[in-house]
Amino acid sequence: MATPASNTPTSTVSISAGGRSVGRLLLQSGTVVALILLIVFFFAMRPDVFLTFTNVRNILYQVSILAIIAGAQTVVMVVGDFDLSVGATSALAGAVTGALLIGGVPIPMAIIVGLIVGLLIGVANGLLIAYLRLSAFVATLATMTSVIGLAYLVTEGTTLFNFPAEFNNLGQGRFLEIPLPVYFAIVISVVLWLVLRFTTAGRRWYATGGNAEVSRLSGVNVKRARFIAFSVAGLVSAIGGILLAARLGSASAVQGEDNMMFSVAAVFLGMTVVRSGVANLGGTMVGVAIIGVMSNGLNILGVNAYVQQVLTGLIIIAAVTLSSLKTRER
Amino acid sequence: MTAGVPLLEAHDIVKRFEGQYALRGARLELRAGEVHALLGENGAGKSTLIKVLTGIYEADSGEIRRDGQPVVFDNVREANRAGVVALYQELSTIPSLTVAENILLGAQMPRRGGFVQWRELRARAREILAGINQRIPLGMLAGDLSPVQQTMVAFARALALDASVLILDEPTASLTDTEIEELFKVVRTLRDRGVGILYVSHRLEEVFELCDRLTVMRNGETIVTKDVADSHIDEVISLMVGRDAGEMYPDRGDGGGDVVLSVHALEGRRVQGVDLEVRAGEVLGIGGLAGSGRSELLRLIAGAQKRRGGEVLVGGEALRPGVGAVLDAGVALVPEERRSQGVIVGASILDNIAVPNLSSASRFGWVNTTAIAEIARRGMADLKIKARSPRQHVGELSGGNQQKVVLAKMLARRPRVLLMDEPTRGIDVGTKAEIYRLIRRLASEGTAVIAVSSELPELIGMSDRIVIMHEGRVSGEVDAAHADDELLLSYCYGKSE
Repeated sequence: MATPASNTPTSTVSISAGGRSVGRLLLQSGTVVALILLIVFFFAMRPDVFLTFTNVRNILYQVSILAIIAGAQTVVMVVGDFDLSVGATSALAGAVTGALLIGGVPIPMAIIVGLIVGLLIGVANGLLIAYLRLSAFVATLATMTSVIGLAYLVTEGTTLFNFPAEFNNLGQGRFLEIPLPVYFAIVISVVLWLVLRFTTAGRRWYATGGNAEVSRLSGVNVKRARFIAFSVAGLVSAIGGILLAARLGSASAVQGEDNMMFSVAAVFLGMTVVRSGVANLGGTMVGVAIIGVMSNGLNILGVNAYVQQVLTGLIIIAAVTLSSLKTRER
Repeated sequence: MTAGVPLLEAHDIVKRFEGQYALRGARLELRAGEVHALLGENGAGKSTLIKVLTGIYEADSGEIRRDGQPVVFDNVREANRAGVVALYQELSTIPSLTVAENILLGAQMPRRGGFVQWRELRARAREILAGINQRIPLGMLAGDLSPVQQTMVAFARALALDASVLILDEPTASLTDTEIEELFKVVRTLRDRGVGILYVSHRLEEVFELCDRLTVMRNGETIVTKDVADSHIDEVISLMVGRDAGEMYPDRGDGGGDVVLSVHALEGRRVQGVDLEVRAGEVLGIGGLAGSGRSELLRLIAGAQKRRGGEVLVGGEALRPGVGAVLDAGVALVPEERRSQGVIVGASILDNIAVPNLSSASRFGWVNTTAIAEIARRGMADLKIKARSPRQHVGELSGGNQQKVVLAKMLARRPRVLLMDEPTRGIDVGTKAEIYRLIRRLASEGTAVIAVSSELPELIGMSDRIVIMHEGRVSGEVDAAHADDELLLSYCYGKSE
């Protein structure tokens, strides 16, 4: 009973077999093949549009913010928790920065305050979960609720706009034909990947997520590890939220609500990519790509946005089912 | 002993994983009314055979017969329905349910129209427990039971399933001597009722006390099946190992260096005012009944549990609290529960060994992956860890090799004091001997070793000096060379010198 990690030999055979073997193919070769199949499918449906430079750029642009927030979620899920407040945190950070900009505060200052707000929410989550031992679900559900409330207070329930052009340029400008948020997303992902893989902090996160008691008895300060993970997630979510405000040129309390669910979905999808089944940044990016390609492709095919939402949920179920089948196989 | 057709037979069972043989023609015959020991080193194929017998694995070839009829169990439920029930090492009760519910879980639960019939449930549970002479409050949550009570509940559940073949995998691993006696009584009761019991254990003394016949496996094959009465313990060991048993325990050292670690008036939840000293090069064994505070003592020293009073000095300096600080002072703990405290089962050998060594193999927070790989490579070579590669997941290793991974990750820190809680629990004979030799080698290199064990022969064999605990206090101390079971037991029960 082989572990279904190897993806090459069987997949090429079964593609030609077609039909029934698609399920087995997905099972054996994992989520990456699902992504490729999606791309092939949409390309086959609309070869004139889907893989053009403009559209690929669109996809990257659309997923850049989600990629950042999913990166934040990955860090927390590596320690074995999850964070429901990433979307709310990003909205509040964007709203605070936006409100300060409208009030005439210089751009760097407004951004720094927005980042600090995000960091503080992360710190609060970390304190509640690591030191006061609340469950991550309860703690982040509560902070999410309050943070959305705060965002409504900051925006006074409206949508803030009329930001300085230099600020909006961060989200809308391009360098070498590619929108700036794409670069930000890439830089943040690479940094997070390096941190997770090559720093003592990252390795301690993985150890804690693997087994907190074993880690504690091996001298890892488990509480601090979890605390830092949530703090980082708050900060990174804020980066995503501020960029989103710049991209849209506006800020509201409900901005990027989808990002929370989609970020969890992306990490779950990513967990199915590796054999060990733990959260990992490369996998998360595959998950982000699946969500982005789905959404873009369905748009091109003219599928209604609500249907898209339904399909996204189904994809998550499919992915998690696949990964549980994988583990059962072992 | 009932004559006639055996209850359960396995013929020429072959099972491969990824092309490697786990079983190559294993045979087994279990008769009604016998306790049959299944013996072998870790990796000999015992667990795989049990899993084939209970429908967890499908055999590649071979035949299983139940009452003489060929059968194929597709899953555990089918095996249970045919009266074949296995109780595993990890106690199989549900902590959040009551005793009665645990006993009659699932299809056995009396119900009417979707509602549980509580009165009938309690009556039947009581009846089953009475059948094995147990009086456990039916309304208690299984999570609040002692290990032996949990085992009894698991037994009762097997009886509720009308098991006529009962497979016990290391049932005594977490029990004390008195509890083991109680367990044996129940096993004998069941045997006398005609149940066939397959008994898997690493504790040969138990096998010779309890079992009627034994089957020895080695390298996935059945080596021999014979009556226990015609067997001798040394002979069985050499059959398991495939060579002469030799000396299980290495010679003692002189054990007379300077005092490395001293404990003064240590207080914990159970531990009360314990004073202790251990010298460089000395192996100090700590014994006592379960609940005597022997494990807690180690955990208090290691900083894994908060001290309520007293102090621990290492090289004359007081230890600061917390595992990290204690580790940095050169005191490392190999904990009791391997899978929940010792190793991250889902991570690779490399990653496991890395965890306590991150600080030493990093600069400015960046991990030196080459250094970590080297630490892991050296640990694996030094301790002869059998694995395909450092990247293999620890969950796929045998118990003995998992224990070696725990040792490797801690030894890489070159501790001055090594604390070991049940260093050989659930480990095969061959690896046990290896670990005793390792402990002795570390001592000869100047490490002070404190090892807790619930097995008296082990305590005597591996230690230079033995301290026995009773109800949180030290009840006796002896030179291991002059110790015997009787003396130690009397200390265990609190008789002071």
